[in-house]
Amino acid sequence: MRAEYINPFYKATKDVFQLMLDIDPQRKELKVVEDMVCSKDASVLLGVTGDLKGSLLFSFPKDMTLKMIKIMSGMEMDEIDHFASSALGEIANIIGGNAMTLLAEQEYKCDIVPPQIFVGEYKSFSMANEKVLLMSLATPIGEFDINIFLKENKNS
Amino acid sequence: MMWKEKYRIGVEHIDEQHKELFKRVFNFLQTVQSKENWEDKLEKVKETMAFMKDYVIVHFNDEEIYQEQIGYPDIETHKEVHSNFKEEVHDYVRSFEQEGFDEEKIQEFGAKLMTWLIMHVAKMDQEIGRYVKAKGGEA
Repeated sequence: MRAEYINPFYKATKDVFQLMLDIDPQRKELKVVEDMVCSKDASVLLGVTGDLKGSLLFSFPKDMTLKMIKIMSGMEMDEIDHFASSALGEIANIIGGNAMTLLAEQEYKCDIVPPQIFVGEYKSFSMANEKVLLMSLATPIGEFDINIFLKENKNS
Repeated sequence: MMWKEKYRIGVEHIDEQHKELFKRVFNFLQTVQSKENWEDKLEKVKETMAFMKDYVIVHFNDEEIYQEQIGYPDIETHKEVHSNFKEEVHDYVRSFEQEGFDEEKIQEFGAKLMTWLIMHVAKMDQEIGRYVKAKGGEA
């Protein structure tokens, strides 16, 4: 997987977090793994189609999710209900949309498939012998993961 | 409270309308998220939704008129973004009318409204303020 696919997602994540949450996430570690895993309590899966094909999986701890909701809505919550999980899905969707714009500047025309959200389901998705890039990001309200699996789509 | 000072674009009447929108969305979310029984809060949810649907349109129109007045170069893109969002709101309203007011669907709508509004005002609308400022206007 090439850096030019990865960087737009990192940049879009930083921009959206800054705009919506006043938080600047820092990249901690980058690992190559076998499967995409919902490693934390709330996860959002986004599909990518077009010149690049694959998926992205954002995974957030519960405590961080609730703090994100508080920063945006001003409301204290103690459970990730349908409102909180939908908001998380929207954020991931906005990040994906912004990353698509950045990718288009590099001549990759792609689209995002509407998000699938998993709360309290620690699923894993096997990528059939393909490698997944796991990026961990640190913020003052917690640490989250982004799994990235993208391939050039030769048929498009 | 959802409004933050950083959302200001520096054009008084638009900032006031944005503040009102944030306040309404906040009230809406509080109603949707209150621990009251769903049947009891449904009336209030319907009322706020009806108000918001209209207010979003009034605000978008006012903002577009202002963009025309100042000769804002990005007006067409901005109008398209407004129009797409109006369409999305409309789709939700239609589904509520046809399929009933389902609690999860309303929560999903609330989340969409909140994130869209924050992102739009914190990003796209800020460009209007920057343009006015660059032209030596009030912002």
